[in-house]
Amino acid sequence: MKRAVLLASLVLALFAYLAAPAWAAPLAVQITPDPTRVATVLGGRFTITTEVANTGSAPTGNVLAHLNVASMQDEVYVDPEDWSSSRSVNLTLQPGESRTLSWDIQAVNAGRFAAYVVVLPEGSEVSGAEGLVVSPLVKIDVETRSAMSESGVVPVVLAIPLLLGLSAAALRLRRRR
Amino acid sequence: MTARVVPTEVDGSGDLGSMTGDPGWLVVAGQECRDLWRSGRGLALLFCLSVLLSAVTYLASTNSALNFLERREAVNLVLQFVVGVGVLLTLVVTADGISGERERETLESLLVTPVSRRAILAGKLIAGLTLWFAAYVVSIPYLWLLAREVGIFSRAMTLGLLVGTLVALGLGCVGLLISTVSNSNKISLAISLFLLVILFAPTQLPSGLPAGWFFDVIERLNPVSSGLAYITGQLVQAHPWSEDLSFLVSPVLTVVLAGGALVIAGPRLVRLTVGSN
Repeated sequence: MKRAVLLASLVLALFAYLAAPAWAAPLAVQITPDPTRVATVLGGRFTITTEVANTGSAPTGNVLAHLNVASMQDEVYVDPEDWSSSRSVNLTLQPGESRTLSWDIQAVNAGRFAAYVVVLPEGSEVSGAEGLVVSPLVKIDVETRSAMSESGVVPVVLAIPLLLGLSAAALRLRRRR
Repeated sequence: MTARVVPTEVDGSGDLGSMTGDPGWLVVAGQECRDLWRSGRGLALLFCLSVLLSAVTYLASTNSALNFLERREAVNLVLQFVVGVGVLLTLVVTADGISGERERETLESLLVTPVSRRAILAGKLIAGLTLWFAAYVVSIPYLWLLAREVGIFSRAMTLGLLVGTLVALGLGCVGLLISTVSNSNKISLAISLFLLVILFAPTQLPSGLPAGWFFDVIERLNPVSSGLAYITGQLVQAHPWSEDLSFLVSPVLTVVLAGGALVIAGPRLVRLTVGSN
Protein backbone atom coordinates (compact mmCIF):
# COMPACT_ATOMS: atom_id res chain seq x y z
CA MET A 1 0.00 0.00 0.00
CA LYS A 2 2.78 2.36 0.97
CA ARG A 3 4.57 1.62 -2.31
CA ALA A 4 1.42 2.38 -4.26
CA VAL A 5 0.99 5.78 -2.52
CA LEU A 6 4.67 6.57 -3.09
CA LEU A 7 4.40 5.65 -6.77
CA ALA A 8 1.28 7.73 -7.20
CA SER A 9 2.99 10.71 -5.53
CA LEU A 10 5.98 10.39 -7.83
CA VAL A 11 3.73 10.25 -10.92
CA LEU A 12 1.82 13.34 -9.72
CA ALA A 13 5.03 15.22 -9.04
CA LEU A 14 6.28 14.34 -12.55
CA PHE A 15 3.01 15.58 -14.11
CA ALA A 16 3.18 18.78 -12.11
CA TYR A 17 6.75 19.39 -13.26
CA LEU A 18 5.92 18.72 -16.92
CA ALA A 19 2.73 20.76 -16.85
CA ALA A 20 4.37 23.81 -15.30
CA PRO A 21 4.83 26.66 -17.79
CA ALA A 22 8.30 27.40 -19.03
CA TRP A 23 8.41 30.90 -17.51
CA ALA A 24 7.77 29.63 -14.00
CA ALA A 25 11.53 29.53 -13.78
CA PRO A 26 13.23 32.93 -13.26
CA LEU A 27 13.25 34.89 -16.50
CA ALA A 28 16.57 34.69 -18.29
CA VAL A 29 16.33 38.14 -19.80
CA GLN A 30 18.85 40.92 -20.06
CA ILE A 31 17.76 44.54 -20.55
CA THR A 32 20.22 47.13 -21.84
CA PRO A 33 19.07 50.78 -21.96
CA ASP A 34 20.49 53.42 -24.26
CA PRO A 35 21.36 56.15 -23.37
CA THR A 36 21.97 55.70 -19.65
CA ARG A 37 21.83 59.41 -18.92
CA VAL A 38 19.60 62.18 -20.33
CA ALA A 39 19.84 65.90 -19.72
CA THR A 40 16.91 67.97 -20.96
CA VAL A 41 14.71 70.95 -20.17
CA LEU A 42 11.16 71.05 -18.89
CA GLY A 43 8.84 69.94 -21.68
CA GLY A 44 11.71 68.35 -23.63
CA ARG A 45 10.94 65.20 -25.59
CA PHE A 46 13.43 62.38 -25.88
CA THR A 47 13.50 58.68 -26.67
CA ILE A 48 15.09 55.89 -24.68
CA THR A 49 15.69 52.51 -26.30
CA THR A 50 16.05 49.27 -24.41
CA GLU A 51 17.35 46.06 -25.89
CA VAL A 52 15.60 43.09 -24.32
CA ALA A 53 17.50 39.81 -24.95
CA ASN A 54 16.58 36.26 -24.03
CA THR A 55 19.80 34.88 -22.56
CA GLY A 56 18.26 31.58 -21.50
CA SER A 57 17.78 28.30 -23.30
CA ALA A 58 13.97 28.36 -23.27
CA PRO A 59 11.43 30.71 -24.81
CA THR A 60 10.36 33.49 -22.48
CA GLY A 61 6.68 32.90 -23.08
CA ASN A 62 4.47 35.99 -22.98
CA VAL A 63 6.23 38.74 -21.11
CA LEU A 64 5.45 42.39 -20.57
CA ALA A 65 8.06 45.11 -20.77
CA HIS A 66 6.93 48.13 -18.77
CA LEU A 67 8.53 51.57 -18.45
CA ASN A 68 8.43 53.41 -15.17
CA VAL A 69 9.64 56.82 -14.07
CA ALA A 70 10.49 57.67 -10.48
CA SER A 71 11.63 60.86 -8.84
CA MET A 72 14.97 60.90 -7.06
CA GLN A 73 13.86 63.90 -5.05
CA ASP A 74 11.37 63.54 -2.22
CA GLU A 75 9.40 66.67 -2.93
CA VAL A 76 8.71 66.00 -6.62
CA TYR A 77 5.63 63.96 -7.43
CA VAL A 78 5.72 61.91 -10.61
CA ASP A 79 2.79 60.62 -12.60
CA PRO A 80 4.41 58.29 -15.17
CA GLU A 81 1.34 58.55 -17.43
CA ASP A 82 2.19 62.22 -17.96
CA TRP A 83 5.72 61.31 -18.96
CA SER A 84 4.83 58.67 -21.50
CA SER A 85 1.39 57.67 -22.71
CA SER A 86 2.58 54.29 -24.07
CA ARG A 87 4.58 52.47 -21.44
CA SER A 88 3.88 48.75 -21.97
CA VAL A 89 4.91 46.32 -24.71
CA ASN A 90 4.01 42.62 -24.94
CA LEU A 91 6.61 40.34 -26.43
CA THR A 92 7.83 36.77 -26.67
CA LEU A 93 11.48 35.96 -27.20
CA GLN A 94 13.02 32.74 -28.41
CA PRO A 95 16.38 31.65 -26.93
CA GLY A 96 19.07 34.03 -28.12
CA GLU A 97 16.56 36.46 -29.63
CA SER A 98 16.58 40.13 -28.74
CA ARG A 99 14.29 43.05 -29.44
CA THR A 100 14.82 46.78 -29.25
CA LEU A 101 12.00 48.79 -27.69
CA SER A 102 11.65 52.55 -28.03
CA TRP A 103 10.06 54.69 -25.34
CA ASP A 104 8.97 58.23 -26.20
CA ILE A 105 9.14 60.40 -23.12
CA GLN A 106 8.34 64.01 -22.34
CA ALA A 107 9.80 65.63 -19.24
CA VAL A 108 6.83 67.20 -17.49
CA ASN A 109 8.54 67.99 -14.17
CA ALA A 110 11.86 69.60 -13.38
CA GLY A 111 14.34 67.76 -11.16
CA ARG A 112 16.25 64.47 -11.06
CA PHE A 113 14.49 61.32 -12.16
CA ALA A 114 15.15 57.69 -12.96
CA ALA A 115 13.52 55.74 -15.76
CA TYR A 116 13.71 51.97 -15.87
CA VAL A 117 12.12 49.08 -17.69
CA VAL A 118 10.87 46.00 -15.94
CA VAL A 119 10.13 42.71 -17.72
CA LEU A 120 7.61 40.45 -16.05
CA PRO A 121 5.65 37.36 -17.05
CA GLU A 122 2.20 37.95 -18.40
CA GLY A 123 -0.96 35.88 -18.65
CA SER A 124 -3.58 34.19 -16.53
CA GLU A 125 -1.17 31.43 -15.52
CA VAL A 126 1.10 33.80 -13.61
CA SER A 127 1.16 32.59 -10.02
CA GLY A 128 2.81 35.65 -8.55
CA ALA A 129 5.92 33.81 -7.41
CA GLU A 130 7.86 34.48 -10.61
CA GLY A 131 10.80 36.83 -10.60
CA LEU A 132 11.09 40.15 -12.42
CA VAL A 133 13.95 41.49 -14.43
CA VAL A 134 14.73 45.18 -14.05
CA SER A 135 16.95 47.23 -16.32
CA PRO A 136 19.71 49.51 -15.09
CA LEU A 137 18.22 52.94 -14.49
CA VAL A 138 18.44 55.81 -16.92
CA LYS A 139 19.21 58.98 -15.03
CA ILE A 140 17.22 61.99 -16.27
CA ASP A 141 18.13 65.54 -15.31
CA VAL A 142 15.43 68.06 -16.18
CA GLU A 143 16.24 71.75 -15.96
CA THR A 144 13.49 74.33 -15.59
CA ARG A 145 13.10 76.72 -18.47
CA SER A 146 13.15 80.43 -17.83
CA ALA A 147 11.62 80.34 -14.39
CA MET A 148 8.71 82.72 -14.14
CA SER A 149 9.24 85.11 -11.29
CA GLU A 150 6.83 87.62 -9.84
CA SER A 151 9.08 90.40 -11.07
CA GLY A 152 8.52 89.25 -14.66
CA VAL A 153 4.76 88.86 -14.32
CA VAL A 154 3.73 91.86 -12.26
CA PRO A 155 4.58 94.56 -14.86
CA VAL A 156 2.39 92.90 -17.47
CA VAL A 157 -0.56 92.08 -15.22
CA LEU A 158 -0.56 95.64 -13.86
CA ALA A 159 0.31 97.57 -17.01
CA ILE A 160 -2.44 96.26 -19.28
CA PRO A 161 -5.46 96.99 -17.03
CA LEU A 162 -3.88 100.32 -16.12
CA LEU A 163 -3.39 101.26 -19.75
CA LEU A 164 -6.92 100.24 -20.73
CA GLY A 165 -8.48 101.87 -17.68
CA LEU A 166 -6.69 105.15 -18.29
CA SER A 167 -7.61 105.11 -21.98
CA ALA A 168 -11.28 104.51 -21.17
CA ALA A 169 -11.26 107.26 -18.54
CA ALA A 170 -9.52 109.69 -20.91
CA LEU A 171 -12.10 109.04 -23.63
CA ARG A 172 -14.97 109.63 -21.22
CA LEU A 173 -13.43 112.87 -20.00
CA ARG A 174 -12.91 114.03 -23.55
CA ARG A 175 -16.55 113.32 -24.43
CA ARG A 176 -17.79 115.22 -21.39
CA ARG A 177 -15.85 118.30 -22.44
CA MET B 1 -50.19 96.29 -35.54
CA THR B 2 -46.95 96.66 -37.28
CA ALA B 3 -46.05 99.65 -39.35
CA ARG B 4 -44.77 97.98 -42.47
CA VAL B 5 -41.88 99.52 -44.24
CA VAL B 6 -41.09 97.88 -47.52
CA PRO B 7 -37.51 96.68 -47.39
CA THR B 8 -35.59 98.53 -50.02
CA GLU B 9 -32.50 96.69 -51.12
CA VAL B 10 -30.58 99.72 -52.12
CA ASP B 11 -27.69 99.29 -54.43
CA GLY B 12 -25.79 101.32 -56.95
CA SER B 13 -26.34 105.05 -57.22
CA GLY B 14 -28.72 105.47 -54.30
CA ASP B 15 -26.53 103.75 -51.75
CA LEU B 16 -25.09 105.91 -49.00
CA GLY B 17 -21.88 104.05 -49.58
CA SER B 18 -21.71 105.16 -53.19
CA MET B 19 -22.05 108.76 -52.01
CA THR B 20 -19.13 108.39 -49.62
CA GLY B 21 -17.17 106.09 -51.88
CA ASP B 22 -17.47 103.11 -49.51
CA PRO B 23 -19.86 100.16 -49.56
CA GLY B 24 -22.93 100.62 -47.34
CA TRP B 25 -21.95 97.90 -44.87
CA LEU B 26 -18.57 99.55 -44.39
CA VAL B 27 -20.21 102.91 -43.67
CA VAL B 28 -22.52 101.31 -41.08
CA ALA B 29 -19.64 99.32 -39.58
CA GLY B 30 -17.53 102.47 -39.34
CA GLN B 31 -20.30 104.39 -37.64
CA GLU B 32 -21.04 101.55 -35.22
CA CYS B 33 -17.35 101.15 -34.40
CA ARG B 34 -17.03 104.87 -33.72
CA ASP B 35 -20.04 104.68 -31.38
CA LEU B 36 -18.59 101.68 -29.62
CA TRP B 37 -14.97 102.75 -29.28
CA ARG B 38 -15.09 106.56 -29.10
CA SER B 39 -17.72 106.44 -26.38
CA GLY B 40 -15.28 104.48 -24.20
CA ARG B 41 -17.76 101.59 -23.89
CA GLY B 42 -15.50 99.17 -25.71
CA LEU B 43 -12.45 100.15 -23.70
CA ALA B 44 -14.36 99.87 -20.42
CA LEU B 45 -15.39 96.31 -21.33
CA LEU B 46 -11.81 95.46 -22.29
CA PHE B 47 -10.61 96.92 -19.00
CA CYS B 48 -12.87 94.47 -17.11
CA LEU B 49 -11.55 91.61 -19.23
CA SER B 50 -7.94 92.64 -18.59
CA VAL B 51 -8.51 92.71 -14.80
CA LEU B 52 -9.89 89.18 -14.98
CA LEU B 53 -7.01 87.95 -17.16
CA SER B 54 -4.44 89.65 -14.93
CA ALA B 55 -5.78 87.89 -11.84
CA VAL B 56 -5.83 84.47 -13.51
CA THR B 57 -2.40 84.93 -15.10
CA TYR B 58 -0.81 86.12 -11.87
CA LEU B 59 -2.15 83.17 -9.90
CA ALA B 60 -1.19 80.65 -12.56
CA SER B 61 2.27 81.99 -13.31
CA THR B 62 3.48 82.51 -9.76
CA ASN B 63 2.34 79.11 -8.51
CA SER B 64 5.56 77.10 -8.42
CA ALA B 65 3.71 73.86 -7.70
CA LEU B 66 2.33 73.71 -11.22
CA ASN B 67 4.13 71.21 -13.44
CA PHE B 68 4.62 71.31 -17.19
CA LEU B 69 1.20 69.86 -18.04
CA GLU B 70 -0.54 72.13 -15.57
CA ARG B 71 1.12 75.11 -17.26
CA ARG B 72 -0.51 73.97 -20.49
CA GLU B 73 -3.78 73.81 -18.61
CA ALA B 74 -3.19 77.34 -17.34
CA VAL B 75 -2.71 78.54 -20.93
CA ASN B 76 -5.87 76.68 -21.85
CA LEU B 77 -7.76 78.27 -18.96
CA VAL B 78 -6.75 81.80 -19.96
CA LEU B 79 -7.61 81.13 -23.60
CA GLN B 80 -11.01 79.75 -22.59
CA PHE B 81 -11.64 82.93 -20.57
CA VAL B 82 -10.67 85.04 -23.58
CA VAL B 83 -12.91 83.12 -25.96
CA GLY B 84 -15.76 82.96 -23.43
CA VAL B 85 -15.70 86.64 -22.51
CA GLY B 86 -14.96 87.73 -26.08
CA VAL B 87 -18.01 85.81 -27.29
CA LEU B 88 -20.09 87.29 -24.47
CA LEU B 89 -19.06 90.83 -25.47
CA THR B 90 -19.87 90.17 -29.12
CA LEU B 91 -23.25 88.70 -28.20
CA VAL B 92 -24.12 91.65 -25.94
CA VAL B 93 -23.18 94.23 -28.59
CA THR B 94 -24.99 92.46 -31.43
CA ALA B 95 -28.03 91.82 -29.22
CA ASP B 96 -28.28 95.59 -28.87
CA GLY B 97 -28.00 96.07 -32.65
CA ILE B 98 -31.59 96.43 -33.87
CA SER B 99 -33.60 96.33 -30.63
CA GLY B 100 -31.37 99.10 -29.27
CA GLU B 101 -32.17 101.27 -32.30
CA ARG B 102 -35.88 100.56 -31.77
CA GLU B 103 -35.65 101.47 -28.10
CA ARG B 104 -33.67 104.65 -28.73
CA GLU B 105 -36.18 105.50 -31.49
CA THR B 106 -33.40 105.79 -34.07
CA LEU B 107 -34.37 102.82 -36.21
CA GLU B 108 -36.70 104.85 -38.41
CA SER B 109 -33.99 107.34 -39.33
CA LEU B 110 -31.59 104.47 -39.93
CA LEU B 111 -34.06 102.76 -42.24
CA VAL B 112 -34.57 105.83 -44.38
CA THR B 113 -30.87 106.13 -45.08
CA PRO B 114 -29.92 104.75 -48.48
CA VAL B 115 -28.32 101.63 -47.06
CA SER B 116 -29.71 98.17 -47.58
CA ARG B 117 -30.94 96.27 -44.52
CA ARG B 118 -28.45 93.53 -45.13
CA ALA B 119 -25.72 96.20 -45.07
CA ILE B 120 -27.08 97.47 -41.74
CA LEU B 121 -26.96 93.95 -40.30
CA ALA B 122 -23.49 93.31 -41.71
CA GLY B 123 -22.18 96.60 -40.31
CA LYS B 124 -23.57 95.86 -36.86
CA LEU B 125 -22.15 92.34 -36.93
CA ILE B 126 -18.70 93.66 -37.85
CA ALA B 127 -18.85 96.21 -35.04
CA GLY B 128 -19.70 93.43 -32.57
CA LEU B 129 -16.83 91.32 -33.87
CA THR B 130 -14.34 94.15 -33.31
CA LEU B 131 -14.86 93.59 -29.57
CA TRP B 132 -13.88 89.96 -29.98
CA PHE B 133 -10.76 90.88 -31.96
CA ALA B 134 -9.86 93.52 -29.38
CA ALA B 135 -10.26 90.95 -26.59
CA TYR B 136 -7.99 88.63 -28.56
CA VAL B 137 -5.32 91.35 -28.91
CA VAL B 138 -5.54 92.14 -25.18
CA SER B 139 -4.95 88.46 -24.38
CA ILE B 140 -1.64 88.27 -26.32
CA PRO B 141 0.70 89.42 -23.50
CA TYR B 142 -1.01 87.16 -20.96
CA LEU B 143 -0.80 84.11 -23.19
CA TRP B 144 2.79 84.94 -24.04
CA LEU B 145 3.68 85.06 -20.34
CA LEU B 146 2.20 81.65 -19.67
CA ALA B 147 2.79 79.83 -22.94
CA ARG B 148 6.38 80.79 -23.81
CA GLU B 149 7.68 78.53 -21.02
CA VAL B 150 5.99 75.47 -22.44
CA GLY B 151 6.44 76.36 -26.10
CA ILE B 152 2.78 76.56 -27.12
CA PHE B 153 2.38 80.31 -27.63
CA SER B 154 1.91 80.27 -31.41
CA ARG B 155 -0.39 77.25 -31.18
CA ALA B 156 -2.52 78.96 -28.51
CA MET B 157 -2.73 82.17 -30.53
CA THR B 158 -3.68 80.38 -33.75
CA LEU B 159 -6.31 78.28 -31.99
CA GLY B 160 -7.73 81.29 -30.19
CA LEU B 161 -8.02 83.27 -33.41
CA LEU B 162 -9.62 80.48 -35.46
CA VAL B 163 -11.98 78.94 -32.90
CA GLY B 164 -12.80 82.23 -31.15
CA THR B 165 -13.63 83.99 -34.42
CA LEU B 166 -15.80 81.08 -35.51
CA VAL B 167 -17.77 81.00 -32.23
CA ALA B 168 -18.00 84.81 -32.00
CA LEU B 169 -19.25 85.02 -35.59
CA GLY B 170 -21.90 82.35 -34.98
CA LEU B 171 -23.15 83.82 -31.72
CA GLY B 172 -22.94 87.35 -33.14
CA CYS B 173 -25.37 86.26 -35.85
CA VAL B 174 -27.60 84.67 -33.19
CA GLY B 175 -27.50 87.90 -31.15
CA LEU B 176 -28.50 89.96 -34.18
CA LEU B 177 -31.33 87.55 -34.98
CA ILE B 178 -32.65 87.85 -31.42
CA SER B 179 -32.29 91.62 -31.66
CA THR B 180 -34.26 91.84 -34.90
CA VAL B 181 -37.27 90.08 -33.37
CA SER B 182 -37.17 91.92 -30.02
CA ASN B 183 -38.97 95.18 -29.46
CA SER B 184 -37.11 95.92 -26.29
CA ASN B 185 -33.40 95.99 -25.65
CA LYS B 186 -33.98 94.44 -22.24
CA ILE B 187 -35.72 91.44 -23.78
CA SER B 188 -33.04 91.03 -26.41
CA LEU B 189 -30.18 91.20 -23.90
CA ALA B 190 -31.99 88.95 -21.42
CA ILE B 191 -32.64 86.28 -24.05
CA SER B 192 -29.06 86.50 -25.33
CA LEU B 193 -27.52 86.26 -21.88
CA PHE B 194 -29.82 83.42 -20.90
CA LEU B 195 -28.80 81.63 -24.09
CA LEU B 196 -25.15 82.16 -23.24
CA VAL B 197 -25.64 80.81 -19.71
CA ILE B 198 -27.32 77.73 -21.17
CA LEU B 199 -24.43 77.29 -23.58
CA PHE B 200 -21.79 77.68 -20.88
CA ALA B 201 -23.53 75.46 -18.31
CA PRO B 202 -22.19 72.15 -19.69
CA THR B 203 -18.62 73.47 -19.56
CA GLN B 204 -18.98 74.05 -15.83
CA LEU B 205 -20.02 70.53 -14.87
CA PRO B 206 -17.50 68.83 -12.56
CA SER B 207 -15.08 66.72 -14.55
CA GLY B 208 -15.59 63.83 -12.11
CA LEU B 209 -19.17 63.27 -13.26
CA PRO B 210 -19.71 60.21 -15.42
CA ALA B 211 -19.68 61.46 -19.01
CA GLY B 212 -22.02 59.31 -21.07
CA TRP B 213 -23.24 59.66 -24.64
CA PHE B 214 -25.89 62.19 -23.58
CA PHE B 215 -23.25 64.56 -22.18
CA ASP B 216 -21.14 64.00 -25.29
CA VAL B 217 -24.07 64.91 -27.58
CA ILE B 218 -24.83 68.07 -25.56
CA GLU B 219 -21.19 69.09 -25.64
CA ARG B 220 -20.93 68.57 -29.39
CA LEU B 221 -24.24 70.32 -30.17
CA ASN B 222 -23.20 73.36 -28.19
CA PRO B 223 -20.98 75.66 -30.31
CA VAL B 224 -19.29 77.15 -27.23
CA SER B 225 -18.48 73.95 -25.34
CA SER B 226 -17.45 72.09 -28.49
CA GLY B 227 -15.17 74.96 -29.56
CA LEU B 228 -13.58 75.03 -26.11
CA ALA B 229 -13.23 71.23 -26.13
CA TYR B 230 -11.33 71.47 -29.43
CA ILE B 231 -8.97 74.04 -27.90
CA THR B 232 -8.41 71.85 -24.82
CA GLY B 233 -7.62 68.80 -26.94
CA GLN B 234 -5.06 70.77 -28.93
CA LEU B 235 -3.39 72.61 -26.07
CA VAL B 236 -3.50 70.19 -23.15
CA GLN B 237 -3.53 66.79 -24.81
CA ALA B 238 -1.38 68.01 -27.73
CA HIS B 239 -3.64 66.31 -30.28
CA PRO B 240 -2.83 66.84 -33.97
CA TRP B 241 -5.04 69.60 -35.47
CA SER B 242 -7.08 67.11 -37.48
CA GLU B 243 -7.94 64.78 -34.59
CA ASP B 244 -10.87 66.61 -32.98
CA LEU B 245 -12.24 68.40 -36.04
CA SER B 246 -15.71 66.98 -35.36
CA PHE B 247 -15.88 69.41 -32.42
CA LEU B 248 -15.90 72.29 -34.91
CA VAL B 249 -18.99 71.05 -36.74
CA SER B 250 -21.33 72.76 -34.28
CA PRO B 251 -19.65 76.23 -34.43
CA VAL B 252 -19.55 76.01 -38.25
CA LEU B 253 -23.22 74.98 -38.36
CA THR B 254 -24.14 77.90 -36.10
CA VAL B 255 -22.44 80.32 -38.48
CA VAL B 256 -24.11 78.74 -41.51
CA LEU B 257 -27.60 78.52 -39.98
CA ALA B 258 -27.71 81.80 -38.06
CA GLY B 259 -25.80 83.66 -40.78
CA GLY B 260 -28.03 82.15 -43.46
CA ALA B 261 -31.16 83.13 -41.53
CA LEU B 262 -29.84 86.68 -41.22
CA VAL B 263 -29.08 86.92 -44.93
CA ILE B 264 -32.42 85.44 -45.98
CA ALA B 265 -34.84 86.75 -43.35
CA GLY B 266 -32.87 89.73 -42.04
CA PRO B 267 -34.24 92.36 -44.45
CA ARG B 268 -37.80 91.37 -43.49
CA LEU B 269 -37.07 91.32 -39.76
CA VAL B 270 -35.39 94.74 -39.63
CA ARG B 271 -38.56 96.83 -39.59
CA LEU B 272 -40.48 99.31 -37.55
CA THR B 273 -42.88 97.90 -34.99
CA VAL B 274 -45.66 99.51 -33.06
CA GLY B 275 -44.77 101.06 -29.73
CA SER B 276 -41.03 101.10 -29.92
CA ASN B 277 -39.26 102.59 -32.82
